[in-house]
Amino acid sequence: MASRGGLTWLMIIVILCNAFAAAAGLALFALAIWVAVDGYKLYPISGVSGKDDIFAGAWIAIFTGFAYFCTCIFGIYAARKQRRSLMLSYLIIMFIIFIFECASCITAATNRDYLVGNSNVVKKQMLQYYAEDSTKGREITKTWNKVMQDVECCGTDSPLDWVEYNSTFRQLYGTTYPWPLNCCKRLSSFEVADSQGCIIGQTSTMFTRGCFTHIESVLSRYTWAVSWYGFSVQMFVFFMLLIAMVYFTQLG
Amino acid sequence: MEVYLVLCFICMLPIPAKSITTVDCKPAINESLAAKITINTVILQQPRCCFDNLTNLPCTSNTCEIWLVPAVDTGLSTFDANKASSAILSLSPYPTAFTGSSPANYFLTKVGLQSDFPCVSPSPGGYFRVGADGACSTTNCNGFLPQGSSPSFKYLLVDSVNKTVLAETKWSDSIALYTLKDPGTLGDGFAGRSGAMVVITTLLSVAAAVLLLFLIVVLALCCCGGKSKGSGSVVGSVMGSFRIPRYDTHHLKDPAPYDNPAYEKERKYTTQDTLPKTKATSAVNPVTQDTIKLQKI
Repeated sequence: MASRGGLTWLMIIVILCNAFAAAAGLALFALAIWVAVDGYKLYPISGVSGKDDIFAGAWIAIFTGFAYFCTCIFGIYAARKQRRSLMLSYLIIMFIIFIFECASCITAATNRDYLVGNSNVVKKQMLQYYAEDSTKGREITKTWNKVMQDVECCGTDSPLDWVEYNSTFRQLYGTTYPWPLNCCKRLSSFEVADSQGCIIGQTSTMFTRGCFTHIESVLSRYTWAVSWYGFSVQMFVFFMLLIAMVYFTQLG
Repeated sequence: MEVYLVLCFICMLPIPAKSITTVDCKPAINESLAAKITINTVILQQPRCCFDNLTNLPCTSNTCEIWLVPAVDTGLSTFDANKASSAILSLSPYPTAFTGSSPANYFLTKVGLQSDFPCVSPSPGGYFRVGADGACSTTNCNGFLPQGSSPSFKYLLVDSVNKTVLAETKWSDSIALYTLKDPGTLGDGFAGRSGAMVVITTLLSVAAAVLLLFLIVVLALCCCGGKSKGSGSVVGSVMGSFRIPRYDTHHLKDPAPYDNPAYEKERKYTTQDTLPKTKATSAVNPVTQDTIKLQKI
């Protein structure tokens, strides 16, 4: 009634924004699946410490991403129909999804700070659980062995972590080996290239840098995927919902 | 005769024992190895070129042995006092070197023959690991150093036949061993908030609050404000007493009576569409708008 031309333009804007948000929601869905799958196999480091909300945030983002996709398609339909009841239900559903996605972003960022803010948590976990014969110990041992071999590193900050601190590994094997043999370079046949040289620490036979930079970069990558991309989707949805509310008031 | 006796007496004066030469060498850690210092072992550089310039030795390089003295605290002075003794090699056996009420605080262990360490090394990367034998129990074994102590080291050239010390290097600097730290001391509490987390949290919280506020405002405006969309209350309140169900608008070229939609519900009158179409029904002649002509019906 009041300026039909203006209402039509608003409807078109709402429809376009919803289409874009649907695409963004689908991308969030896909990105969160990538995080949840954990291709770098570093989940035990956060799981054993009990602070695995980076992955919990990813799971929430899977659901909210897909929900954004579906609700935005519904929003296109509601805007086209120009009915107040449809637009109202659209707004309420989008707001609920918005709240959940906020929770996902915030909790992923907070847990990342706890885990890799400094190297203490990871180092303590490594010293306590590596070579321990418990469920947690086996998971950590497997994870660390894989990281040390793939990334060619030893210890958290350096191999001296094994030397300076008491650890389960030292209690079990400390008289013979100052650090695990996974710190040693291996031949293509997977045998240790020079185990005596590795034990005394010849730099040509072992890995001398720490693994923390790799672990920190992977967990940060997961976190930024969930929380920063989620944040950008949220900002777009925020402004789109403001426009949709204006449209809602102009209806009827 | 007396002169002869005095001369003999002088000759009988104790001849000073052959003094131990101190060579200008100082044992040092092998810096290139990652495990150079642990809590109970140290890796030293080999004693090359240390004893090769000595002459008048009773043994050859194939029979001269090189030994190592690790000593802690008082052990340095104790060893220096005892080093001329012919039983020096077994004076302080390893198992009791650092234990007991007044330990000797040093022990001796064999490194190898002098010929094993020529001045020009055939292969690089030579090292000697002190503590390689671990927790051993023989007299001169290469056992663990006391944890967390700061030992100093000295290489010795020993005659394998009489087991006496022929030459020695200087004492090395004291090398502080690591004391084992408990991983529980690693503070795993508050590691600080990253800037990203603060930004995300504040902006998202503010956005959610603003959205909620606007949603409530919009709901209040639209749903509570326009609840009773009853008959003509909107029109009635705006128009006052304008209750004419049907009236003519005079500004149109082709006037047709305008049906007031506020009265749609209580339409007991006929509308423009239902009236019979005769000329008599048009009240105003559009040509002469300002003059009203009464017509005979």
